[in-house]
Amino acid sequence: MRLATILSSAARWSRAVLAVGAVSLLSACDFNFWRMDGHQSTIKVEGPVAKSQLDVFYVTCWVTLVIFILVGAVLAYASIKFKARTPEEEKAVPPEQGHGNPLIEIGLIGASVLALVIIAIPTLKAIWYTYDVPEDRKADTYEVTATGYQWWFKFDYPSEQIAGAGALSTANELVIPAGRPIRINLRTVDVIHSFWVPKLAGKVDMIPNRANHLWLQADQPGYYWGQCAEFCGDSHAVMRFRVIALGPKDFNDWLSQQTAPARDVAPPRVATQDAPKAQFASLRTFKQNESGITAKYDTSPLDAWKAHQFPEKGENPALIAQGKALFKEKACLSCHEVRGHGFAGISGPTLTHFGSRSTLAGGLLENNTEQLHRWIHNPESVKPGNKMAKGYIDNNIKLTNEDEVALVAYLQSLK
Amino acid sequence: MDAILKSDLQVKDVATETKSAVFWRPTAQTGLVSWLTTVDHKKIGFLYGIFALFFFLVGGFEALLIRLQLMTPNGTVLTAQQYNTMFTMHGTTMIFLAVMPLSAAFFNFIMPLQIGARDVAFPRLNAFSLWTFVAGAIILNLGWFMTAGAPDAGWTGYAPLTSKAYTPDHSVDMWIMGLQLLGVASIAASLNFIVTIINMRAPGMTMMRLPVFTWMTLITAFLIVLSFPFITVALVEIMMDRLFGTSFFEVSGGGMPILWQHLFWVFGHPEVYILILPAMGIISEILPTFSRKPLFGYPIVVFSGASIGFLGFSVWSHHMFTTGMGTVATAAFSLATMAIAVPTGVKIFNWIGTLWGGHISMRTPMMFALGFVWMFMVGGFSGVMHSAAPADAQQQDSYFVIAHFHYVLIGGSMFALLAGIHFWFPLMFGRKIGEFWGKLSFWVIFAGFNITFFPMHFLGLNGMPRRTFTYDSNLGWNPANYIATVGALILGVGIFIYFAVMVYTYFKGEKVGKDVWDARTLEWSLPNPPPEYNYRVIPTVHARDAFWYMKQNKEQIAKEDAAHAKEEAAHGGIHMPHQSIYPFVASLGMLIAGIGISVIDNDPTPGFWGKKIGITMIGGVVMLAGIYFWALEGNGGYHLHPENDGDETSGKKPAKH
Amino acid sequence: MSSHAAAGTIDHHHDPSTSTGIPNKKLMMWTFLASDCMFFGALISTHLIYRLHPAPGSPSPKQIFSLELTSFSTFILLMSSLMMALAVTAIQKGNVKSMRWSLLTTIFFGSIFLGCQVYEFEEFVKLKNVTLTNSMFGTTFYTLTGTHGIHVAVGVFWLILMYVRSFQPHEAGRTFGWFFKNCLHIVSIVGAVLLSMFAVLGVVHTLQTGGTAGAYFASHLWMIAGFVGCIAVSIGFAQPKALSNFGEANAIDVESMGLYWHFVDIVWIVIFTAVYLIEYL
Repeated sequence: MRLATILSSAARWSRAVLAVGAVSLLSACDFNFWRMDGHQSTIKVEGPVAKSQLDVFYVTCWVTLVIFILVGAVLAYASIKFKARTPEEEKAVPPEQGHGNPLIEIGLIGASVLALVIIAIPTLKAIWYTYDVPEDRKADTYEVTATGYQWWFKFDYPSEQIAGAGALSTANELVIPAGRPIRINLRTVDVIHSFWVPKLAGKVDMIPNRANHLWLQADQPGYYWGQCAEFCGDSHAVMRFRVIALGPKDFNDWLSQQTAPARDVAPPRVATQDAPKAQFASLRTFKQNESGITAKYDTSPLDAWKAHQFPEKGENPALIAQGKALFKEKACLSCHEVRGHGFAGISGPTLTHFGSRSTLAGGLLENNTEQLHRWIHNPESVKPGNKMAKGYIDNNIKLTNEDEVALVAYLQSLK
Repeated sequence: MDAILKSDLQVKDVATETKSAVFWRPTAQTGLVSWLTTVDHKKIGFLYGIFALFFFLVGGFEALLIRLQLMTPNGTVLTAQQYNTMFTMHGTTMIFLAVMPLSAAFFNFIMPLQIGARDVAFPRLNAFSLWTFVAGAIILNLGWFMTAGAPDAGWTGYAPLTSKAYTPDHSVDMWIMGLQLLGVASIAASLNFIVTIINMRAPGMTMMRLPVFTWMTLITAFLIVLSFPFITVALVEIMMDRLFGTSFFEVSGGGMPILWQHLFWVFGHPEVYILILPAMGIISEILPTFSRKPLFGYPIVVFSGASIGFLGFSVWSHHMFTTGMGTVATAAFSLATMAIAVPTGVKIFNWIGTLWGGHISMRTPMMFALGFVWMFMVGGFSGVMHSAAPADAQQQDSYFVIAHFHYVLIGGSMFALLAGIHFWFPLMFGRKIGEFWGKLSFWVIFAGFNITFFPMHFLGLNGMPRRTFTYDSNLGWNPANYIATVGALILGVGIFIYFAVMVYTYFKGEKVGKDVWDARTLEWSLPNPPPEYNYRVIPTVHARDAFWYMKQNKEQIAKEDAAHAKEEAAHGGIHMPHQSIYPFVASLGMLIAGIGISVIDNDPTPGFWGKKIGITMIGGVVMLAGIYFWALEGNGGYHLHPENDGDETSGKKPAKH
Repeated sequence: MSSHAAAGTIDHHHDPSTSTGIPNKKLMMWTFLASDCMFFGALISTHLIYRLHPAPGSPSPKQIFSLELTSFSTFILLMSSLMMALAVTAIQKGNVKSMRWSLLTTIFFGSIFLGCQVYEFEEFVKLKNVTLTNSMFGTTFYTLTGTHGIHVAVGVFWLILMYVRSFQPHEAGRTFGWFFKNCLHIVSIVGAVLLSMFAVLGVVHTLQTGGTAGAYFASHLWMIAGFVGCIAVSIGFAQPKALSNFGEANAIDVESMGLYWHFVDIVWIVIFTAVYLIEYL
């Protein structure tokens, strides 16, 4: 980045600082930064692997805290007790010029070693426990493969083979059975990424030319936030994903829905002409980096996710048919797959059941009309450097507002 | 510049006849030429300090931009790419262009004084290190002024993000070349320091009487000499990948990007101790001075420093706990990392032992030193938490790690270096920084630092990954980020006060006589600022705290000095090395060659000769010429005959060879 | 301590001006070599790691190497170390003339080693189709042995500089004229080394391709002429009667250079084992 561009945006900084400062000072009264119960908390964990890691953390935390208090107390006492308070005291005869006491040293070294042993034992146990699924639970294990792309995740289900299409594959939302150990193979097609769902397990990197894995388990059905944790280029910060854990029945339902080909909405016999413009009278503009998730995913995300599995009310079959045609015409199919509709791109996320996913753009935006429109309209503003924006330029793809509306309708119909 | 010089060193009328028609022997005592050609370790140290502080402010500015971007969720101060550039350059700048050269400034200025030497072993090599460091710094920062932009692949430069496929522009080339030159500079400087400490000690200055700062300099120098080759090789390999299409880290050709991480961290972990050991050395000087008693457990402090250095080579993979190393390797590195906590803890015990029973005068350097001990303890304990690999799986690459290493690097290294500036300022410049403003800057820095970084522990445990240019408002990270940014601004104000006061003191501060702190080590026996030749008479050392002993046994020392002076006069007086321009020329050649390799585009037309090759070759020739002239001109030198400290008349004598 | 130390006026095993008695230059060289050890350690490790994880389709080193040639060049490099040691001994006794001959022999042997390496690389690239970029073996092999080759080349260049340095007159004589001659002297020796190397490689090529002597001389005439010219010029500058300020006091410079040279040889022994011999185990 050039210096000049930084300097030219100086005005922007100052405005941002002022606006932000004014707003945030108002909310300063409920500054409770020590709360660690966010969606990606490593403290409020919901699976045995994260729990084991948390237990080790607590051991280290308590041991070091005790030592800190002890040593700190002595340090504080010494600094206060032996402080020269007056110029006379400073100039007084120097204290005895002693060089130390080996016995004290040895004693303290012994005590430190002991403290470390207290940490080391649970650490070693947890290293083996968190590395792979325990033997007695191997039979119950469900296996998936997660692959990192700049900047999204692909999830394959090797145990769910679809005739003629290989393993079931989805993107950015990993749906797993709750209560079962999940062994995840970690792969990448480009740079190093890292798979991290803090509430379920610590991260393991996806490294090129290296077969890593991790295991995790969600004790209860739930909706978990995850994020890439290894810097992977421009849009690393917005490379996110979700893990959705479902009960046995829900999971099987989900599997049968996903293994089916993409949903077809029958085009109407008589073409209607009104709908497109009416739906998006005005195109909402979004600010840079504006949040794209609504509050329902904070309050009861799993319900919101489940509600998202069913076709939208008020679908417009004509628009959907138009969108399907555009999908081909505008070369979307060269990167994206819609199994059953004859679209078989592989370099982008599969869109076969896109409509059933709660998020888009790599877990960044909620999958609703507005956000999907935002994404299709200008992907670069959402994810700087992403390949879709580059694809628009390379293939000279220009979308009118109507095109975008139709594509949105089509994509949302892919439940 | 000239004003600086005159107050810094007394101008002497040393006529040095030109030794031959071929080689230019500059004799300028003032002006640009004197700085470019200086071989005086004190001037070189001063220059290191100036450059380091400049880059410290640059890195700080980058940090403030980072914090402003993250002040609120969905911030728009910087774009994604600008943000990535900022944190990459912030890390690289602070480590290689601020903390390391600031440590080098103290190594240069203080260490030879502490061992009673008149200069380092190879004065011209010392100048070469300085100018090569500057060349590396220039190349690293060239991107700000180019379309390619400054590097933005993180200070760790993990392959394959740094490969041609994912970063096609020159930004990474500049990062590679800049670091490569900084490596050359660091290794050359360290060789010099090692030889100086081992070989140029004053009579009686046995190894176990060396001041702890000198000991830590020695260990740091060894760490640099032994660890930098690894990053050199890593950088050579990535450069070959980028320039010549080899496949060291190229997956399609069978390359394994994980290898980069191993090579990088075999260097990177000792580097951590390269940053902190000098700081520990400074603290081990300040605490005894202001407690007015010797360092508690000197041998243990020295040996723990050495064992930290040694163990530092065996724990690199704890930066890679999440790379799937397998259980046994993870366990081994986990335990080794815990083991390193022992010698580190021992140092803290000994510092407290030093305070115990002392007469503590709470001057500004002492405030910073105690601040160091507290902050380093916090950083050390979060370090112990990382050593437990399972816990680290959650903490790695999160803000918890950010909090940890800023506690050890700012609360640790930087506090100690700031303490060191306050402590040695009277010796360097003959003026003392005012207590009120010094303490004020300490408290503002201390408060700002903790407000910035303490909340980051909670951020990390709440799942915020590092190196993210934006975050959503629903993740519970808003308050901590907001507080951190406010803290960063306070820290900025503190640093501003610190520097403003320092600059003011430099020109207008209270003048003080020698040994203003009633200190213990040899450098304080010198008048301030120290004369060019440091010691009129090479001192004889009788005890660990050599100067303290001298103050107790003045008569004995006076007798010895007189005898020494006579002996030296018989040998022709004080031998001083000549100034030389050739180290600068050699560095200049490296700069040109570095620019040729990293910045110039490959010519589209095939064929050997082109702009890139041409500029690189020119640089190479300039460098070779510099080195060859440097070798041929010889040490040279002249003799000084100061009558006594502070008021010397200089005589001239034919140069000795 | 030893006989030759007693023969000279300088004690080559103890420098009274330093705290330890070890000369500064020697100590620095040792420390630098420690650093270089780590450097080669990292490079050799890279080679060995990729040897353990070969990419599919990588060539078999056994079919590429010519162990006879490499053994020969290894032996030559070892012999150069011997000559280097003789040079150091000579100058420690103050025998500049003998040192010069030893240095020249060392240069000669070093050049043979380099020539073998050039030949080897050319062979691998042209006949065995192993390039820097077309396989991981090529990548690590050329980088490692090439880096070592650069070390040897730097060593040879240093030897040449030291040899020329031994003709340096006392201060008064160091004029522009002398400096010009000095530079020319260096250029002529470097030229002689390079030209002879390529001329000999030409002979090998001619033998391999079955070319005639006539054709060889026709195409290499300028090389041979240049070589003869360079030799003549350097002999012209190497006047034994010229007064030089090079003597026993400079033994430490030669010794430091010798340490470097021996180190580079030892590294080659390690590379020879870890890169070449290991394939035949």
